[in-house]
Amino acid sequence: MSLYLEAVGFGVVAAASIAIGAMGFTLQFGLTNVLNIGYGSIMSLGGLVAYACHAAGMSIWLGLAIGGLSASAMTLLVAKTILSVFARRGAGLFEMAMITFGVSLIIEYGIASATQNNTYSLFLAVEHAMTLGPFHFTKVQLVLVGLAIAVFVVLDLFLRLTKLGLALRATAIDPDLARASGIQTNRIVTAAWLMSGFLCGLAGGVFTINILTVNAFTGDTLLSLVIVSALLGTAGSVRGAVLAALVIGIATQVASVAGASGYDSAVAYGFLALVLLARPKTLQGELVTDKAQITV
Amino acid sequence: MQAFVSISLVYLGIYALSAWSLNLQYGYAGIINFGWIVFQAIGAYIAGVTALGTSSGSFQTYILGARLPFPLPLLMGTLAGGVLALVLGALILTRRIRPDFQAVILLVVSIIAAQVVIATPSIFDGSNGLSNIPKPFNGALHLSDQGYQWFYVGWMAVLCIIVFAGLQWLCRTSWGRALKAVREDETLAAYSGINVPLLRVVVFVIGGAIAGFSGALLAEFLGTWSPDAWNFVETFVVFVAVYVGGRGNHVGALLGAFLVPVVFGVMPSFLPEFGYPGLSANLEWIVIALLWLVTFYLRPAGILPERRYVAKRGGASSSASMRPTTPSPAPPTMDEPRTAS
Repeated sequence: MSLYLEAVGFGVVAAASIAIGAMGFTLQFGLTNVLNIGYGSIMSLGGLVAYACHAAGMSIWLGLAIGGLSASAMTLLVAKTILSVFARRGAGLFEMAMITFGVSLIIEYGIASATQNNTYSLFLAVEHAMTLGPFHFTKVQLVLVGLAIAVFVVLDLFLRLTKLGLALRATAIDPDLARASGIQTNRIVTAAWLMSGFLCGLAGGVFTINILTVNAFTGDTLLSLVIVSALLGTAGSVRGAVLAALVIGIATQVASVAGASGYDSAVAYGFLALVLLARPKTLQGELVTDKAQITV
Repeated sequence: MQAFVSISLVYLGIYALSAWSLNLQYGYAGIINFGWIVFQAIGAYIAGVTALGTSSGSFQTYILGARLPFPLPLLMGTLAGGVLALVLGALILTRRIRPDFQAVILLVVSIIAAQVVIATPSIFDGSNGLSNIPKPFNGALHLSDQGYQWFYVGWMAVLCIIVFAGLQWLCRTSWGRALKAVREDETLAAYSGINVPLLRVVVFVIGGAIAGFSGALLAEFLGTWSPDAWNFVETFVVFVAVYVGGRGNHVGALLGAFLVPVVFGVMPSFLPEFGYPGLSANLEWIVIALLWLVTFYLRPAGILPERRYVAKRGGASSSASMRPTTPSPAPPTMDEPRTAS
């Protein structure tokens, strides 16, 4: 029994990286309606940069931030040079997803080529786990969970209270009306790419710290859980994404403890398939959209 | 050198069948089968186990098992592809899901299948896969290894011609036109009396059967089949082949099968190693992805686009005029009538 409770604890820590990733994905998806499969490759990038900074002697937390920034830059680059180009030509939803898949291949195999297919192990100072009731956490794990909570609070307040946040939500709901109201939607979209890219890299870094290894394909394993969480919550809802991330994180850890450890990713993917099957066709409030909405 | 040519030709045949199968499903009917590889895989596995005999006493563990004579394993593989397509099609295609979600669901099916097979060795021998699959006619012909490869080239050529002719005929009938109608405008097609879900499932099954056929042929050629051979990214390669060669055009699909998987996939494996081991494989993926992006930018309909033709009343096509079709942006949405300003 205590094994299951411990699994719940692990699940909460795992949920930290999933939640951060899901928040970023929700921002992107809510605004552009593009299922960005390249998100996983950029999570790998964030994790690798964080690792590299740490290996070069910096604090891992600074490494996380730098990982987030580089992921942010990469996301904006990809969005402006590749995604916008095809979206402007009227590529359909699937074609956009295929394009992001292609981008993901280029980035991941590019990184793999540059790193010679190496997998890197992260060495953090060994710590003893603290006991909180039936759960055991190391200090680092608690910091990760705290980081996820902090990100959530900041993002939620930002979206609700700041002008930019409101503009973002308005653009996500109805870009034409937002533009007509005087919102500079191309700046909003740029801001969204930058922010979601930062969260993407941060998620990759947090995941790397959690599992202590990283390579060019690390983001793939996280990506399916991120997409499930982002879509399980309601469209564009950051709170829903975080809640779903918690559920998914705990569920996958408990499933693997329940003896199905070879299947835990299969369970996560199965979740994804079920969510997509059950999801109604309309995702942008009540608007039925069949084109990507990268407003330029 | 001979091996280079013969192996490339065999793979051309396999990838041609793959591209035709996907072209039928996606190019003609608009079904985004992003889990395509799982149909090839099941065809290969079933062909393997029905040729290997039961698994007791063997170093491999797998379900089923029979020692069926040629060509039964081939047929069983084809059937397996079709049956799997029937099951998945009935579950997934009979409801309206937005296209990128549909793609991801099918992709996820192929990923889950791979993981379940690896984690459960009792099904198909896990990550070791099947080996020692008997090659057809090998005992009867007494050829050298290279000779057998040339034989297989001829065998594949015959089969490909048959499948190609069959598909071309099928797609020129009114049924083929119904596929395109469903692809272009599902609602209108339904109003015209086409049973859209049934049509989709039938197309899916035919495509799945051809995919299973290609898998069975490949397994019989290689003699082995393991999860490494059906990574979910393989589906992307076949999609790129169809996109680059020409969607909705079986000759285009053949061209794409040559250009993408053969020129960039099979042929580079004969190059001498450079850099570190595995570098050329990585670069292959990057090249294929770039090829896809560039082709989609420059020539979205593919090199040999879909042919437009006018059907004579009551049936077969008359003139086939080549007018390249580029995907036009969605027709302008009907805004609510605004009062004239």
